[in-house]
Amino acid sequence: MSSRLLRAAAPVELISLALLLVNLATAHWQAVASLFGPVHGCAYLFVIGATIHKSRDTRTRLLAIVPGIGGLLVIRRHKTRPATPAEAEEFSATPRQASLDQDATS
Amino acid sequence: MTKLLLTIHVLAAIVAIGPVTVAASMFPAATRRADLPTLRTLHRICTVYTALGVVVPVFGLATATSLGVLGDAWLLVSIGLTLLAAAVLALLVLPRQAAVLTTLAGEPGPPAPPAEPSDHPSPATRARRRWPDRVPASAPRPAGLAW
Repeated sequence: MSSRLLRAAAPVELISLALLLVNLATAHWQAVASLFGPVHGCAYLFVIGATIHKSRDTRTRLLAIVPGIGGLLVIRRHKTRPATPAEAEEFSATPRQASLDQDATS
Repeated sequence: MTKLLLTIHVLAAIVAIGPVTVAASMFPAATRRADLPTLRTLHRICTVYTALGVVVPVFGLATATSLGVLGDAWLLVSIGLTLLAAAVLALLVLPRQAAVLTTLAGEPGPPAPPAEPSDHPSPATRARRRWPDRVPASAPRPAGLAW
């Protein structure tokens, strides 16, 4: 569940922040800021929560806190150097037998 | 915009908090029955809807900002109570549920042990011998399950 959540929330985190900044620099509609602000906040918290749940590594957890691109950094880190076989399985989205997270491959 | 933010806040509260209340309240009874499939489902409900519950305070704060009531006493008390409930859930309830599941599920993977019966089989061993996921009520319970 956590890896799926991370893969969904990471792009939302970046795109919503980009939308907010573009809005700020151009039309500055209050409505856009009011709506996408909380969306970005939720995505940020989902990224941090999913990372803490999935990874024991302190460096990875700290990466998640980076604003805007934290989620994407964590995903990239796990693609290039999976720390444990369990984490590698989770991030490569292969199904595991007899696990709590009965996720299908995404 | 305030109405939209408030709607999302209230909807998320109803959708996210309700299932956690129900599933967490059913967990102790299922533990006493050692009903492993039910326990897994209940724990999964709790974790997924707790994660969803993050939306509630985020949009609550957004609504409060939109209304201009961020400094009001009632709001500060609400936020404090929410933080307290979230801490209890994330630091006490969910880890204890996971520990119960780990204890009752035993080691994952290897098949059932050889046919020689031992004098004091573990609950997991007895469960594998009889039913895949059920432990008889007379089986010794792991320590630490009593609330």
